[in-house]
Amino acid sequence: MEYQRIKYGEPFQIRRRLGDLFRDIVRIKGVEYERGKGFIVRDYYALANLNKILIRMGLILTPMVECAVCRRSVDCEKCNFTDVCLKDVSICLCDECVSREDIVKKYLTVSKESLHRYLK
Amino acid sequence: MNWTEKYRPKTLSEVIGNEDSKEKLVRWFINWRSSDKYGVLLTGPPGTGKTATVYALARDFGYHVIELNASDYRTAEKIMEKLGFIAYGNTLETYISGRPKKLLIFFDEIDGIDPKEDRGGLDAVLKIASKKSVPVIASANFIDPVKHKALLDNFEVIEYKRLTPKQIYIVIKRISELEDLDVEKDTLLEISRRARGDARLAINMLYAVSVGGDIDVVSNPLENMPLDMLLRRISSSSSQLEIKTLLDSNSNHWEDVLYTYFDIISRSPVMKMERRAALLEHISILDVILGRMKRERAFYLMKYFTAILSWIVNQSNRWGAVYDGRIPEYRLYVFVLNRDVRAELDELLSRYGRRLHESRRKFIFDSVLAASLANPEYKKLLEWVGKVYGIEDVLRRVKQYGVSKN
Repeated sequence: MEYQRIKYGEPFQIRRRLGDLFRDIVRIKGVEYERGKGFIVRDYYALANLNKILIRMGLILTPMVECAVCRRSVDCEKCNFTDVCLKDVSICLCDECVSREDIVKKYLTVSKESLHRYLK
Repeated sequence: MNWTEKYRPKTLSEVIGNEDSKEKLVRWFINWRSSDKYGVLLTGPPGTGKTATVYALARDFGYHVIELNASDYRTAEKIMEKLGFIAYGNTLETYISGRPKKLLIFFDEIDGIDPKEDRGGLDAVLKIASKKSVPVIASANFIDPVKHKALLDNFEVIEYKRLTPKQIYIVIKRISELEDLDVEKDTLLEISRRARGDARLAINMLYAVSVGGDIDVVSNPLENMPLDMLLRRISSSSSQLEIKTLLDSNSNHWEDVLYTYFDIISRSPVMKMERRAALLEHISILDVILGRMKRERAFYLMKYFTAILSWIVNQSNRWGAVYDGRIPEYRLYVFVLNRDVRAELDELLSRYGRRLHESRRKFIFDSVLAASLANPEYKKLLEWVGKVYGIEDVLRRVKQYGVSKN
């Protein structure tokens, strides 16, 4: 089985020849196709439905989210909370940042900086 | 003070999680007058930060929030009475100072307004929002696309998602630092794991841990548990907080719990008469409150209901009147949890009762046991009655009459 990492809301190409399955895939609620860019998955439920089709072709898409603090990509499937998380957000935290002692301070600082342009 | 209130985010940057939604809301707020929508509707499960974001937003931009909870203000009349003058800019402050105060109207739990039953409540909200004299934000846990179509058409919808366990961890770590708590990291991670994306629940769990309690008391995965299980848990508890938490999570059984405790207290052989009178007095108050809640949809009374009921249960437990597995006779059906089984049983009891030319109640208590002795056709019915009556009691009777369970 091959795993392909994707990000919610960002276009990607599926590494398989889809043929007739293309129509089934774009009919899934929360999955869109933009010509020239590729597929866009909006949430985890859409991804789960998409995987039901792709698993027959030996492919599983796994969500990657962005760490709110360090902006690195985080692989949801490797997270310690993967069994209890809905995995439907596009921004979370990476393990390294969560284990930092000053994570709360850091998170609030980053959050403040990202909103700064609106709150001038 | 409640920690969820005490540590409510003061600024937008303190609201943890749902970064995209937060940004969307701020973008709308900056241009709310020129937006083609009347207002913004925040949708999402409880504890995801909808209300917190609104208050933080208002604070950051120097607005004053006028909050209306749809549980209290449901009809057009009440909403207009409270907000009509604001929508038309006729506030006393504007009149005196000549400068309008920056106001923001927040309709919390707007999904509680039923477009049909609540006499124009939703239309009044739309009417006020359409004036565009103040920014209007509404929040809802669940929006029915058919019932609330007008709302969806005229409000910009911003979705709030459950927080991830790691975001929950940040929420409770912040509080534990501010409170200077001596809680291990593993405990915080365990709370994050169990909170199911609900920051409010996580904060309550942290509070329970900080006062030496157990996470389980609050995390309580048994929401909407069967009545019998709920009664057994509350009657074996010695903590009013635990009883209240259990009752809050099982609102579908409030009426049953109330009447079961009326039955328990009335029949208790050990409780002193004056204590019994005091508890029954409170039960009668709750009976009135329950009636008002149902009749007038006065849901703001809910907080008094659970507070008083948890006190009654706690006192009843302390004074020796505890649940012994007996459900009051008129509430026989509550033991059958499956709706289909209940409907089937209902029909069967009526049919058998009619066949014997007697009421269903008389049939259950007088005829069914005797009938099961004489006719094997009634044995399944007896089993069902065993379930509804409280298995132990019926099985005891079955033994007494010499009927095997099968």
